[in-house]
Amino acid sequence: MSLFSRFMDGWRKYRKPGYYDEFDYHWTMTIDLDKCTGCEACVTACQAENNIPIVGEEEIAKGREMQWIRVERYWEGEYPNAKLSFIPMMCQHCDAAPCETVCPVGATYHNQDGLNTQIYNRCIGTRACAVYCPYEVRYFNYYDHEWDSPLEQQLNPEVTVRGKGVMEKCTFCIQRIREAKDVAKDDDRRRVQDGDVQPACVQSCPSKALVFGDRKDTESQVYQSMNDPRNYRVLDELNTDSSVFYLKKVDA
Amino acid sequence: MNISIVPALKVLRPAAMLVIVVLVGLVLGYWANATFVPGYSPEQPIAFSHKIHAGDNEIPCLYCHTQARRSPSAGVPAVSKCVGCHLEVATEKPQIRLLMSYWENREPIPWIKVHDLPDFVHFTHKRHVLANIECQTCHGPVETMDRITVSSRAVNGSAQVGKPWKMGLCLNCHRENEVVNGTDCWTCHK
Repeated sequence: MSLFSRFMDGWRKYRKPGYYDEFDYHWTMTIDLDKCTGCEACVTACQAENNIPIVGEEEIAKGREMQWIRVERYWEGEYPNAKLSFIPMMCQHCDAAPCETVCPVGATYHNQDGLNTQIYNRCIGTRACAVYCPYEVRYFNYYDHEWDSPLEQQLNPEVTVRGKGVMEKCTFCIQRIREAKDVAKDDDRRRVQDGDVQPACVQSCPSKALVFGDRKDTESQVYQSMNDPRNYRVLDELNTDSSVFYLKKVDA
Repeated sequence: MNISIVPALKVLRPAAMLVIVVLVGLVLGYWANATFVPGYSPEQPIAFSHKIHAGDNEIPCLYCHTQARRSPSAGVPAVSKCVGCHLEVATEKPQIRLLMSYWENREPIPWIKVHDLPDFVHFTHKRHVLANIECQTCHGPVETMDRITVSSRAVNGSAQVGKPWKMGLCLNCHRENEVVNGTDCWTCHK
């Protein structure tokens, strides 16, 4: 192979999102906004599953809230004709993520499963990723948060308790994905099947508005759901190529 | 009027000397610590000897550390496991009497953890034991130790008694054995 073609190969690979030619799994979530009731069960479930601290009233007033998933509310019209719509917003796991390009220490990068990772022990807390994130879903630990006794007893041992000066965000419940892969290996399977993994938010959704799965499996529920004609992606015009699809019937 | 930076540099001389002395001290200290300070080997509440059990009597590791093949943690055996044999075996030795005092008081033995990983590392014993990796690969020659000392593994595979684990230990092995996606950070950190 000539030097030039090798260079072009490397260049093309470098230009690919996440530097992967092909993802192993391609974890994707769809959120059916026509089904979402805005009950915030997902927020609570996420808080419990991922050891997210309760920062308190004062800190929230300073804009230092911590919620890996939040339900945004949009009001249309005036009372009594007001209309309320919800949009659950979490890390979109963009395949061309702006936050990954900016991290000076490589604490956030794209892994082989199409996930946008956050490695806490590598993070030095520049907060540049939070500035670059168009969805505003990265949260910074301004303090070492403590849990009032006996709440520290309910921390999830599978998830690291983050310390001061570390950025954090939704991981698509990586601990559950790892667990599912572990179980798959026990059963002498290489692949995780559709329905084996459910992040905490998907599991808790009472109206089944959230669907999670592997996009590469064309039989999967999430593949059918993401090809629904109602689908759109938030801030798609930024070309972030995000992995979270929203379904919403637009009122004409 | 002459402008020179020499006076400014003269003022800085003590500060520069201090910085150099501190740097040399740090390097020397690091070297001395790595060379002369012995590895972590705390005295345990009972002078349990892995040499007698795993070495001389060839009891398999998994006989006592039963959880290693089915859970992330290898687990320390309960007092009942020790007593299971020591109701009959070597009952008159002073350390066994100490063991029996824990048994009679229904208290767990406060063993001190030697091989400890930071909380942000989620190692799982199960996968590694099921992959038939010898315990000694990471834990060193435990069957020759009277008291457990931290032990690591060099790149060439030789045991390094007294050296703590570093991430290179994991990554070298994952690279050598070509573990599928084994060098992804989220394999262990999550």
